[in-house]
Amino acid sequence: MIIEKIFNKWILFFLLTIPVFGFVFEEIYYITLTTKVVILGIAGIGLNLALGYCGLISFGHAAFFGLGGYVTGILSFHALNSELMFSWPFVSSGSSDMLVIWPIVILSSAFLALIIGLLSLRTKGVYFIMITLAFAQMLYFFAISWPNYGGEDGLSIYMRNSLPIINTMDPLTFYFICLCWLFVVIFISAKLINSSFGMAFQAIKQNEERVKSVGIETFKVKLLVFVISGTITGLAGSLYTDLNRFISPSVLNWQMSGEIMVFVILGGIARLYGPLVGAAFFIVLEQTLGGYTENWQFWLGLILILEILYVRTGILSLFEKKIKI
Amino acid sequence: MKNRILNIKNLSKSYGAFKVTDEITIDLHFDEIHALIGPNGAGKSTLIKQIVGSVKHDIGSIILDQEDITDLTDVERAKIGISRTFQVSSIIPQFSAIDNIVLSLLDKSSKTFQLFKSIRNNKDLYSNAKKILKEIELFEKSDISASDLSHGDRRKLEVGLALAMDPKVFLFDEPMAGLDESGTNMMINLFKKIKSNSPILLIEHDMDAVFALADRVSVINYGKIVASGTVDEIRKNELVRDVYLGYEI
Repeated sequence: MIIEKIFNKWILFFLLTIPVFGFVFEEIYYITLTTKVVILGIAGIGLNLALGYCGLISFGHAAFFGLGGYVTGILSFHALNSELMFSWPFVSSGSSDMLVIWPIVILSSAFLALIIGLLSLRTKGVYFIMITLAFAQMLYFFAISWPNYGGEDGLSIYMRNSLPIINTMDPLTFYFICLCWLFVVIFISAKLINSSFGMAFQAIKQNEERVKSVGIETFKVKLLVFVISGTITGLAGSLYTDLNRFISPSVLNWQMSGEIMVFVILGGIARLYGPLVGAAFFIVLEQTLGGYTENWQFWLGLILILEILYVRTGILSLFEKKIKI
Repeated sequence: MKNRILNIKNLSKSYGAFKVTDEITIDLHFDEIHALIGPNGAGKSTLIKQIVGSVKHDIGSIILDQEDITDLTDVERAKIGISRTFQVSSIIPQFSAIDNIVLSLLDKSSKTFQLFKSIRNNKDLYSNAKKILKEIELFEKSDISASDLSHGDRRKLEVGLALAMDPKVFLFDEPMAGLDESGTNMMINLFKKIKSNSPILLIEHDMDAVFALADRVSVINYGKIVASGTVDEIRKNELVRDVYLGYEI
């Protein structure tokens, strides 16, 4: 694992330096692009906990990403337009303060993950995939048919949400806010993976029947992993709305779930930094090949096929060096 | 009645017209090893699965330590003291031998939902796991990935996982299959030692081991118990010789 660890440090080095170069040379585009990588990386790290470490192949993580995005967008929309959001049980006109929005996003994503998890985790394999997909698609069509918040056209917020003292409209500042969240998410994920709880959910991926036989309530373990996973992805959705100052039903679509899954598979399933590398690779590919052809995803498909056939465990596994015991 | 820790009454399971277990009544006393023998496909492993709750029975009841556990789930049964080994080794392949044992210790030590403390810092868990690995003679291979262990070592690890749970009863499904002579002897000595704490319901095809260990033997054929008694009684039973042993011992 030594080479992989060095590579991970290089990733962090690039994350710290690229946007600074963008700022120095006044190339805001690179800051925005790196911010997008960081946010999508957070979404992927969330999914990786469920998919990579616990074997829960969720094809509905767009639901959490979109919910986080819409909660942020709606709260902000009401606050910026001074419109009443609801008047019972208390009066609220939303909020454009990130310190208010983040806890609401975290709680609502966790709650949605709890509901979806309670129902979907009773199934396994392809049925689990289909149920999670169905939930996300339900939310997608709900968002499309909700005219109050833009329906199919989406919802624009003309100002990024704020933080006390800090100017979040500055691209570099907002980038470092997202980077802080990335570090928090990596820290939490690393702690979880190395804990007794992490041992339980990683064992479930390999042999659930054995884990049950030693008295571990696998349903509760999987549910908690799913909730944490959905919450992290929801938080990424919130940051994504702030990055674009726009949210539309497309982030709830199955294609978004597929993209988050691609980040995980490309970078490396069950590798802490895998989704971040996958997201970076995806964005670079989109920006470079996208300049030549609209159908750049044809080449992404080809790369995925080659990776699954010849590398299988993701880009990061190329930097893995096994130590023989 | 007081002498029984496990009491199974009229347990039946059918798949369509095929009766896998047919009104099986069997019990397990404190301090004993009760061996269950019979030809392949007789229903022994299905009986174990019904007792642990991974296969739902059609009718019958299961009493563990005077508590009716018939309607409990497999996890609940494991929690209250039923520990098993699988007929085909069922371990966590990418975990080391010691991590497999630690996993088995988690529930008993109420540490499954410890979210942020590193598992490596749980010195108690690892020192208990080391003791178990010594007992099953796998201490030298503690850090080897379970998938790299030999078949015999995996069988030992299976027993280690069961031991770690410190249960009320053990259900061992062919624990000695594929073990060499020293491995079998180690198991025999270990089972004799642990039965006073937790009695054992043992399925085994190695008749030498069964006769060396068992306090009582029951014979199952076509899902029914056809004979039950002490080792001597079973050895002399003509029906048993016909359906299973096939020779005079």
